[in-house]
Amino acid sequence: MTAVAVATAVAASVAPSSAGSDLSCDLLVLGAGPGGYSAAFRAADLGLKVVLVERYPTLGGVCLNVGCIPSKALLHVAAVMDEVKHFAAMGVTYAAPSVDLAALRTHKEKVVGKLTGGLAAMAKMRKVTVVQGRGEFADPHRLSVVMADGQSQSIAFRSAVIAAGSEAVKLPFLQTPELKDDPRVVTSTGALELRQQPKRMLVIGGGIIGLEMGTVYSTLGARLDVVEMQDSLMQGADRDLVKVWQKMNAPRFDHVMLKTKTVGAAATADGIRVSFEGEGAPPEPQVYDLVLQAVGRVPNGKRIGAEHAGVAVSERGFIAVDIQMRTNVPHIFAIGDIVGQPMLAHKAVHEGHVAAEVAAGEQLGDERLRRSAFDARVIPSVAYTDPEVAWVGITEDDARARGIKVKKGLFPWAASGRAIANGRDEGFTKLLFSEDTHAIVGGGIVGTHAGDMIGEIALAIEMGADAVDIGRTIHPHPTLGETIGLAAEAFEGTCTDLPPPRR
Amino acid sequence: MALVDVKVPDIGDFESVDVIELLVKPGDTVKAEQSLITVESDKASMEIPSSHAGVVKAMKVALGDKVAEGSVLLSLETAESAAVATPSSPSAAATAAAVPEPGPTAAATQPPLPAPVAAAATVAAAATAATTATAASGPIEIRVPDIGDFDEVAVIEVLIKVGDVIKVEQSLITVESDKASMEIPSSHAGTVKELRVQLGDKVHQGSVVAVIEPAGVVATAAASPSAAPAQEAAAAAAAAPATATSAAASASSPTDTIAATVAAGGVTSASTSPSTTPPITVPPHEPAAAQGVWPHASPTIRRLARELGVPLAEVPGSGPKGRITAVDVQSFVKQVMAGSATTQAAAKAASARASSSPAAGGVPGLLAWPQVDFAKFGPIERRDLSRIKKISGANLHRNWVLVPHVTNHDDADITELEDFRVQLNRENEKTGVKVTMLAFLIKACASALKAFPDFNASLDGDQLVVKQYTHIGFAADTPNGLMVPVVRDADRKGILQICAEMSELARKARDGRLSPAEMTGGCFSISSLGGIGGRYFTPIINAPEVAILGVCRSRTEPVWDGSAFAPRLMLPLSLSWDHRVIDGAAAARFNAFLMQVLGDFRRVLL
Repeated sequence: MTAVAVATAVAASVAPSSAGSDLSCDLLVLGAGPGGYSAAFRAADLGLKVVLVERYPTLGGVCLNVGCIPSKALLHVAAVMDEVKHFAAMGVTYAAPSVDLAALRTHKEKVVGKLTGGLAAMAKMRKVTVVQGRGEFADPHRLSVVMADGQSQSIAFRSAVIAAGSEAVKLPFLQTPELKDDPRVVTSTGALELRQQPKRMLVIGGGIIGLEMGTVYSTLGARLDVVEMQDSLMQGADRDLVKVWQKMNAPRFDHVMLKTKTVGAAATADGIRVSFEGEGAPPEPQVYDLVLQAVGRVPNGKRIGAEHAGVAVSERGFIAVDIQMRTNVPHIFAIGDIVGQPMLAHKAVHEGHVAAEVAAGEQLGDERLRRSAFDARVIPSVAYTDPEVAWVGITEDDARARGIKVKKGLFPWAASGRAIANGRDEGFTKLLFSEDTHAIVGGGIVGTHAGDMIGEIALAIEMGADAVDIGRTIHPHPTLGETIGLAAEAFEGTCTDLPPPRR
Repeated sequence: MALVDVKVPDIGDFESVDVIELLVKPGDTVKAEQSLITVESDKASMEIPSSHAGVVKAMKVALGDKVAEGSVLLSLETAESAAVATPSSPSAAATAAAVPEPGPTAAATQPPLPAPVAAAATVAAAATAATTATAASGPIEIRVPDIGDFDEVAVIEVLIKVGDVIKVEQSLITVESDKASMEIPSSHAGTVKELRVQLGDKVHQGSVVAVIEPAGVVATAAASPSAAPAQEAAAAAAAAPATATSAAASASSPTDTIAATVAAGGVTSASTSPSTTPPITVPPHEPAAAQGVWPHASPTIRRLARELGVPLAEVPGSGPKGRITAVDVQSFVKQVMAGSATTQAAAKAASARASSSPAAGGVPGLLAWPQVDFAKFGPIERRDLSRIKKISGANLHRNWVLVPHVTNHDDADITELEDFRVQLNRENEKTGVKVTMLAFLIKACASALKAFPDFNASLDGDQLVVKQYTHIGFAADTPNGLMVPVVRDADRKGILQICAEMSELARKARDGRLSPAEMTGGCFSISSLGGIGGRYFTPIINAPEVAILGVCRSRTEPVWDGSAFAPRLMLPLSLSWDHRVIDGAAAARFNAFLMQVLGDFRRVLL
């Protein structure tokens, strides 16, 4: 492994110091996920000497190794498989697909390898020292790392960024000795290993991660059940968006159990027998070939020896920070999942840059960098299901709950030439504007490639654009992105691709 | 080694400023932040500091050049590490520059020095910069940030004392420019080790306010409540890496031995620091909740505002649909510093002060400005003062309050001069040059200033600056307010040339196109109401000039010539003068001289 090689090489070249540390640096970053490596690389680019500590042999964290990226590799395959099923109606017929699971797995691993390999190379180019091992703070200026070979190493730092991320919640009743190591009970990480092709799959938790993995396995042939404690799936997005997804995906599910709890599970030769309680619970326990726990993620705040550095960690494992990403210990920063929701890679990256800039600003005496802060107005969310659901800023639910006066501009994709040509016109694009100023405050898209388009709405919000600004921006025709301009026109009453506005 | 072009930094919305002084020459070794040149705008002059340390290879500007933001001043050969260590800590940069080729790699492999010890080592090893801490993780100097284009402001309040534990953004001192006061916030959290200013001191951007022990080092000691024995705490402090990239460490590294000795001697400074962990002071990070109501400003502008400490919600936007631009943010800072705008926070603080003491408005012992609800007595309209009115008003107010004015009145007999003027205009009808009485007055005053050099002077502390040039300003009434363009070297110019220049300057003033250079450098001003009317008035001196001549409408009066009353054209003159520089007798003589010249203009030749 390249990363290990780098680490060893550098460790060897550093002379042991009288102060009792094997390695010293300006900035230590604990965790090499998207937030961690972004902080490390930014700090290195600003001229700091950086050490990046990662417990796994590859960089990239959950996102690259067992999260965003491998899931997207699989979702892409699933989406194409689903799409060609409908081609018969257009006069193009394919034979039923046969899936070679091992080959698919190799493909996924290749995708991941390309990205993590790229990161290792970029770390090298930046002279960022990568140390593989499990890091714990020893005191406010030292981290001790237990490496794979059991050796331990002490790293002294002037500033540190905690980017130790989170891990999937494991449900207590699935942690019994008999179920704990059962390959039929998995978290997202296990699901991405693609070990089996289940016929019956249970997704516990109706959030984005569960639904994405459910989509993949369903296309590979599984019948899905989903159980969710709250009253709807895909919490956070407006219901009108989710409804479109739900209608399209209804055939994948046998049971959608809302306001329902999973109360017990037992391993049998036939499958995992799971019992439920609540409004949507079927009378009998159900049997599954695969049970995916996707009920959320817990931060790793309690696993890094934060107390030895004096860093305050909440009971649930989060670390509170200010907008400069500073913890209660001023020279130690924290970013990413470990500082709170939303647990998203793209949030962590920006937080990582802020922490790196503030730390570099302080160490180099650069007043501008020192004043860096996280002041993004909005962070977009995307469910990479089929269709995709993406939203950013204020939702209609938010506006109602908080008494914010908004008005809506909505463009149904049934009026989009491109969506119709794609054979996927079920979606719509919705923009929310402040009633007073007509400035955009939020937006949501459901439809194919929604996630690729939500960035434009985020940009519009950051720039303070209003409906006219967006409507008068010429979008290319025929595209799906065009629907954003058209939704703004619909708000203004100037859209000519829709029936005339009512007077 | 690398060649670096040092450029003019952002100097606000001045299009170009004159280079009036060169402070370095090729071959000089300069430090980061060292002044390189002095430039002058219409309002102030300022020194442009170097962004890098190094040796000056070539000057790229000369005296009298106009420069703007981004203009290259000179090229500098820098030591690479000096470039890394950049501003903030000039001493660190200086030390770095003195070390031949330290190079980042060399620095990087330096064994870590304990932070507090590193500072001590520096002091011991090289007796440079005695109190200036060089290791970044040691004591930190808190400096006055960019406070707009003010040269110097006075410290009117010190809000901290040695030993205080301060937070980031906590106010340290209050400074006052000639128009406004503002609080200087701390850029770091920590414990105040040393105060570098006291009441009444003048400070400017970059002045050191205080030296603090950063909270991180405090935390070293603080963070071992888990029953860490003292020895362990000491070891922890010793492990605090001084600075791998900071050239300071490598410069001060004669020595593990010194470091070790000091470390062995006990890390008292760290272990005795107060054991409070400063709480989080900037707002908590809550990205999950979108606000929905935002100032119309892009991320770039938000960053700029954050760096300048500007409350964006209070900045009026001048862009399309009220978008806040970078210029809006900068001019907000300028207005606040010029006293023509106040932040809500400052207003709140001021009203709190006003209600707690009768000395409102900053002048002790005065009653508060009367607050009248004018609308109670009839319809009113509120209008903003024009920019020029705000600026000139503030200047006039200062001059009126600070300068002890005395005004002498007199009448000059201009019967013959007026005849001559009318004749000249008849002769020059074809060329179109119209000679005005004001042009004669400028010429006459120029010759009076030659005869009475004390009138061509300015006070500078205990010194009188006597000018050997004669530039005369004349007050011009413009639609936006009062402006004073300056005719240069009036003593060396003929009446016709003065006339031509005046009409050009007056036209530019009306169009609002006067350049800063055309409004600065005056020695003496003339304010003429001749075209309008009146008899005498008391003009306010255009400080730092020391006198001003007010002129009203001439009239024909019976004047006793010794045997009979004769009709003579008399011009009323009002000379205001600064009694600190000029006394009554001199003023009377000045007026008498002026009257003689105006009575017989041939005397200008004498």
